[in-house]
Amino acid sequence: MTTKIKNNKKTKVSKIIMMICLSIVAVIQIFPLIWLLDFSLASSNELFTTGLLIIPKKIQWGNYVKAFVDGNFLLYLKNSLLINGLSLVLVICISIITAFATTRMIWKLKTAVKTFLLLGMMIPIHATLLPNYIIYDRVGLTDTIWALLIPYVAFSLPQGLFLTSGFMEAIPKELEEAALIDGCGVYRIILIIIAPLMKSSVATVAIMTYLNNWNEFMMASTYLRSKTWKTLPFSVLEFTGQYSSDYAVQFAVMALTALPAIIIYIILNKHITKGVAMGAVKG
Amino acid sequence: MKKKLLSALIMVMLSISLVACGGNQMNSDSDSTQSQTDNENASEEIITIHVFTGLADRKTGTGLIEEILFEQYMKENPNIKIEVEALDGETYKTKFKAYATSSEMPDLLGVWGQPAFINEIIDAGLLAELNPEDYKDYGFVKGALDGFSKDGKLYGLPRSTDIMGFYYNKAIFEENGWEVPKTYNELIELAGKIREAGLIPVSMDGADKWPLAIYLNDLIAKIDGDNGDKISQSIANGDFSDPTYKKAAELLRKSVEAGLFQNGFETTDYATAFNLFANGQAAMYYMGNWEMSIATNPDVLPEIRENIGVFAMPEVEGGKGKVTDIAAWNGVGYSISANSPVKEEAIKLLNYMMKPENLSKLTWQNGVGMSAQDYSGYLTGDETVPQKIFTNILMEATSITGTPINDLGTSAFKTVCEDLCQELAIGAITPEEFIQKLEEATK
Repeated sequence: MTTKIKNNKKTKVSKIIMMICLSIVAVIQIFPLIWLLDFSLASSNELFTTGLLIIPKKIQWGNYVKAFVDGNFLLYLKNSLLINGLSLVLVICISIITAFATTRMIWKLKTAVKTFLLLGMMIPIHATLLPNYIIYDRVGLTDTIWALLIPYVAFSLPQGLFLTSGFMEAIPKELEEAALIDGCGVYRIILIIIAPLMKSSVATVAIMTYLNNWNEFMMASTYLRSKTWKTLPFSVLEFTGQYSSDYAVQFAVMALTALPAIIIYIILNKHITKGVAMGAVKG
Repeated sequence: MKKKLLSALIMVMLSISLVACGGNQMNSDSDSTQSQTDNENASEEIITIHVFTGLADRKTGTGLIEEILFEQYMKENPNIKIEVEALDGETYKTKFKAYATSSEMPDLLGVWGQPAFINEIIDAGLLAELNPEDYKDYGFVKGALDGFSKDGKLYGLPRSTDIMGFYYNKAIFEENGWEVPKTYNELIELAGKIREAGLIPVSMDGADKWPLAIYLNDLIAKIDGDNGDKISQSIANGDFSDPTYKKAAELLRKSVEAGLFQNGFETTDYATAFNLFANGQAAMYYMGNWEMSIATNPDVLPEIRENIGVFAMPEVEGGKGKVTDIAAWNGVGYSISANSPVKEEAIKLLNYMMKPENLSKLTWQNGVGMSAQDYSGYLTGDETVPQKIFTNILMEATSITGTPINDLGTSAFKTVCEDLCQELAIGAITPEEFIQKLEEATK
């Protein structure tokens, strides 16, 4: 009896401690977002007063108006969504197919091919910047959507393959054997049996690809010249002066840029932890 | 249920891939029509000039002035179409390198008329030669074209004259009975007094490092007076044994030891340093004349912006230089690409922009800086105090330093030199080590 009460107490205390720890972590995680919102509503001059958060004298909705009008926000948002959406779909499709080919199918060079593809993770973006530009220039791809789509897919693919193939090894082979006996072909096995089981790892790959590419600026600024395909990070640039910048409006742009990322994260959140954990063990 | 979900998924995938293909087709279509129209335009003589500029903000400052001039030019010349691509700072330089390797170098380029930047691209044959005869009546100040010339040939035109000085808050100075220092020692003494009053003496942008390098260069000018191209020679020979350099390094260190700059200045970036002064937390601010618009900046409190004065780096005791030997140079400007298909038209546009009544006048009237041309014809007497004082400083100058020390070598030297200036300032290295490492950097 007494031990039970003790145990109850213990669990209660540990629960409270856990809650405190978790709320501290939550505050640390959420604070930058609050900070971003707060600064985006102040005037540029107020940003440099002391204190963590500012209470703006007048809430500057004008920052957001400026971000929308002067920052070409809608055009850049459309481009960002299109380019990211396409690269997302491509990365997911290709990584599932490749994962299947390198983990399930039996052929001579399968490990070599897989290792070769995974090597891509080690290549830093900066090293490929100029060589890629020269190739694009020769082929005439600069300033087209392909100039961004190709490297975005290429740089996200190794990570996607790593996660999906790790996850795929955890799926029992018997399922496929059963499917084969029932008369499924390879394509139907991937589409009907494997793909639905891969939901959480697909969500993980989706979030990672999306977050990597959403804020990418280095390649975009090098490969694009006209407004046609410029992505959201260019919007921040429109308010960068030669020496100092219009920080308040930049905060507004960043708040708007972060919004889709947050929404997507909330939607896919349930699956991401599962995907990483399961993919990691067998990877 | 699962089937439905799956078919929905496939539908989405299919439609997206369709859109992708469609988008691509449209894209290539518009591409081909564009090249078609380009060809047609060539016969109709509509010419597109591609401008690449380092001024990303097109709504204020010099970026806005560029936009105004481009608009005007297109109105006056309906057959010209100007396409602007703007990036800032480091991204600009990265893209510039990319362009240098490609076949599509823009026609009109923003450049820095400093060896660290321009020498490499002149040597690569990327810049078109300009005819100095064209600019005889443009009123460029003496020496302004030097940074943009190499081996007697002209490759670009400067946009601005940059002068470094101390902005100070006159109201704070008057309240406390402080006076503008006449000598460097007085400046150091003043730092102590200002600290006692609980204020920051000089707000310094130490995180970007180049203001420290210019500060050092300013001191060299005060020690040596007009020293010609001594610094360039030192860099070329890798010899900084001249006592001037060590003295200047010691003086920079001394000012930090005396607390002249705010605590943690080495991590204070441009905007923060500016705002320390603009909020009245600092009594002085060491920065260039491009910030003279602070006097009309609506974001700055009126009691501060209406009380701004300026003075140049004071004389150093025992130095040969006078207060009129100033740190000034013509840094930024424009060049034309040597391989541009519309070179003639691009040069015409450049010449139009640089006409004294265009860029020079607008820059002055908008108070965003000083052009590299004689703008005295546009003085109205209604200028702000910083505008007037900077004009005076320039007119009374007995010598100007030209390109600061950090930009006189290669681009690699620039990085090392600026790092060393910061390390010297925070006391991580001694003045002796500073000289020694500077010599190593030239090798």
